[in-house]
Amino acid sequence: MTALLIIFLTALAVLFVGLKNRSWLQPIALLGTLLALGATGYDLLGPGFGWGGEYASMFRFMPFAYAFSGVAILATALIIGLSGWGFRNLNSTLGDHYGLILFSLCGALIMFSYTNLTMLFLGIEILSIPLYVLAGSRRDDPAGNEAALKYFLMGAFATGILLFGMTLVYGSTASFDLASISRAIGNGDHMPGMLKVGILLMIMGLSFKVSAVPFHFWAPDVYQGSPNLITAFMATVVKTAGFAAFYRLFSIAFPGAEGFWSIPVAMIAALTMTVANVTAIFQTDFKRMMAYSSISHAGYLLLAVLAIGTAGADQALLFYTLTYSLATICAFGAYIAVAEQRGNGSFSAFNGLSKKQPLLAAVLTLSMLSLAGIPPLAGFFGKYFLFTAAFAKYPWLIVLAVINSAVSIYYYFKIIIAMYFVRSQAEDDSSNVAGEMNNDTLTIPVGVRWAVLIGLLLIALLTLAPGIVYGLI
Amino acid sequence: MSLIFILIPFIASAILLLLRPGGSRSIALLAALANLAVTAWCLGCDYSQGMNCTFSVPWVASAGISFSLGMDGITLIMLVLTNLLAPLIIVSSWGRNYDNEPRYYGLLLLMLGALNGVFLAQDGLLFYVFYELALIPIYFICAIWGGQDRIRVTLKFFIYTFVGSLFMLVALLWVYLQTDVNGLHSFAWADLVAVQMSTYSAHWVLLGFFLAFAVKMPLFPFHTWQPDTYVTAPTGGTMLLSGIMLKMGTYGVIRWMIPLAPEAMHVLNPIFISLAVFGILYASIIAVKQSDIKRLVAYSSIAHVGLIAAGILAWNKAGLQGGILQMLNHGINVVGLFFIIDLLERRLGTRSLADMGGIAKSAPKFAALFMIIVLGAVAVPLTNGFPGEFLLLNGVWNYNFWLGALAGLTIIFGAIYMLRAYGLVVFGETRPETANFEDVNSREFLVLGIIAGLVIVLGFFPQSILGLTDGSVDRILRAVQI
Repeated sequence: MTALLIIFLTALAVLFVGLKNRSWLQPIALLGTLLALGATGYDLLGPGFGWGGEYASMFRFMPFAYAFSGVAILATALIIGLSGWGFRNLNSTLGDHYGLILFSLCGALIMFSYTNLTMLFLGIEILSIPLYVLAGSRRDDPAGNEAALKYFLMGAFATGILLFGMTLVYGSTASFDLASISRAIGNGDHMPGMLKVGILLMIMGLSFKVSAVPFHFWAPDVYQGSPNLITAFMATVVKTAGFAAFYRLFSIAFPGAEGFWSIPVAMIAALTMTVANVTAIFQTDFKRMMAYSSISHAGYLLLAVLAIGTAGADQALLFYTLTYSLATICAFGAYIAVAEQRGNGSFSAFNGLSKKQPLLAAVLTLSMLSLAGIPPLAGFFGKYFLFTAAFAKYPWLIVLAVINSAVSIYYYFKIIIAMYFVRSQAEDDSSNVAGEMNNDTLTIPVGVRWAVLIGLLLIALLTLAPGIVYGLI
Repeated sequence: MSLIFILIPFIASAILLLLRPGGSRSIALLAALANLAVTAWCLGCDYSQGMNCTFSVPWVASAGISFSLGMDGITLIMLVLTNLLAPLIIVSSWGRNYDNEPRYYGLLLLMLGALNGVFLAQDGLLFYVFYELALIPIYFICAIWGGQDRIRVTLKFFIYTFVGSLFMLVALLWVYLQTDVNGLHSFAWADLVAVQMSTYSAHWVLLGFFLAFAVKMPLFPFHTWQPDTYVTAPTGGTMLLSGIMLKMGTYGVIRWMIPLAPEAMHVLNPIFISLAVFGILYASIIAVKQSDIKRLVAYSSIAHVGLIAAGILAWNKAGLQGGILQMLNHGINVVGLFFIIDLLERRLGTRSLADMGGIAKSAPKFAALFMIIVLGAVAVPLTNGFPGEFLLLNGVWNYNFWLGALAGLTIIFGAIYMLRAYGLVVFGETRPETANFEDVNSREFLVLGIIAGLVIVLGFFPQSILGLTDGSVDRILRAVQI
């Protein structure tokens, strides 16, 4: 609650400051998010401000909401840390960028805490509308425009389906309140057809939002076309928000109907992992690969929804979204520094990086290993917790997930191979043409260095002591 | 105490990887020797009462995962193997001036720490974590400093072994979910072993573990990654892979696979042992035909480890004792052989047997040391290979007469291919390229001398090792009956 206010006020402040003095924007945005993070931490770990349940009929901040808010705010703070470099070419619109990112974060916070379907809808819209704008913020770039248009059309379409689903659920349970819906459904013995269709439509709408197969086809184009940092935001904060909302809805409102919705969700999960991982193998562009990687992680994360009712499912979801977000942001941080300096977004941009910038290479290696779920990195524990939670109910799905995570090694390692074992163009040139100057200057911008180091440090912390997050809520 | 085995290499590795100091090879050697000293100290502990030198802190308390280490006689021998070979591997890498040395030695030490962790782990998930952690440094060592076609070969190796161990993870998870300690699940070894399973579920658990370990050792037909990887890897990497890393698989069978799912062993064990014995014959026959000496030793390693696996799977005292002894001896011999191959390759620029010959004249010391190590590998009586292989064959024999007889062919085949290789390298006509073969220098003499000394000493006094494991083997055989 306090965090929500702080972020909202920071967003407003940023909009006005942006008119006058652009150099203050990043510090203010960073300060605001850090304050919000502190407030969330105080609520979650300390005595708290005590007004999380003030608007309990609409949204209520409980440990679940605080913990996920922490993940989203932390991710945003790291992205803002990267933005000094990532947004360096923006002039008059810089303030708008920070403002829109922070407004979008407000939407995410509402999606963590809603107790009413209307707030779910509002949260999703508050999250999405700023992103439609941000995705197309490079107005002269055709790919950016395509991304924005695709994102907007698909997003609007998905929201429409979600809304339709809500209407049908309301029609059959006579309430928007999650707890009342759950009471109306009871143990799911006598569900009217309208309710079933409503739940199915909501699954579809949310699957669009979290980019689960077969509702994922917008994601690669949008991820590739959007500005790099916005893609990082979509892959982390938006995904976390989408899954927390998904989990909340099904664990509070629809647990009684599990026998009905678990089969379609399991099918979607199986499809999502498999299709995304197999497609990712054939990518040569880093952002497209990350898009398919994020889709495949959506498949794993759906296991948490399927595990509803098992102790530790929410913990697993929290841990997974946190480690996934940290690794993704670190990877994007390194990518932004490399790709924008070398003017090349494909895997070959990373050739020979280990010689040129060992730090960036190490950061990227550890993020890739973490995303692939290789022990003992934090990502492994994320997968481990998720798989354990869902194992009792869906052993076949876990076997599939395990095979899929083995497949994913192949494409994550392509980056590592490029960095360590392939020589860069400049190295080849300088060794072929004697005496020619090696003009491949690659530096690490200060903001990027700090953001990825902090991200890396947090990954290391979660690797050594997963218990500090697992067991928090 | 047991934590030190992991801490020293990890800290030294972090220093080397992050600070990149000069003199990295001395730092690495120092860390490895410190570990060896700790191992020597641990030889004096009492292991008759089960686990000793235990260390346990909760890691993820709410999920029943703890960072718990401990050692008994079996672990102790594995630690001796690891920490005895590590300094030798480090010193034998000195002759090659790798670029970016701090990284090379840092990764080597990381590997050392992870291997020690595998052998010490008393918690299922911790075991799995170390088991996989060992894969990362060896992947980089092979892929950065390896030979031709290294990227494809090492990626195949990585994915192959990783997929194998994922099946182990699934099996481990299944057992974990059956445990119940005050309402919580637990990964502690004792709790996992206490789970009673139906034969049907035990099948799957056993198969999951078997896949992981069979790929790692490797057993036929999961061995296809091995020859290429051994040949491509730099010598230090090959030594780590063949000397120590494959023992993770055989050790895993003793400590985890059979104790966790003995219920299905009577059904699946005939298949497992038959695969192991078939692998012995298969690899031996291929080894006889090899012209590349490194590839020859790689195949001989499949044959030897097949025998170790068959002996362990027989699950009787002779087989287990022989298996543990032979793990140590095979590690020593194979490191010696790969070092000799490295010397040959560095001096002659080739590994092809056809291009060698007549070295005995110009390098008598080299030829003598080579001979001793070859005799150890062939398991001639009074060398270290003999008591191990004898006990192993005895164990397999007790399980099934015919399998034992077939497995016994390994000694004959071993003599054929090893002595053929030795003859082609050392004797025969001296060629212009081999005429000036430089004899071993003092550093090389030291490494080979230590290995040759161990071959003879352990051949004369196998009881010094067998006595250490005797009590622990009895305990585990009593606790787990198949």
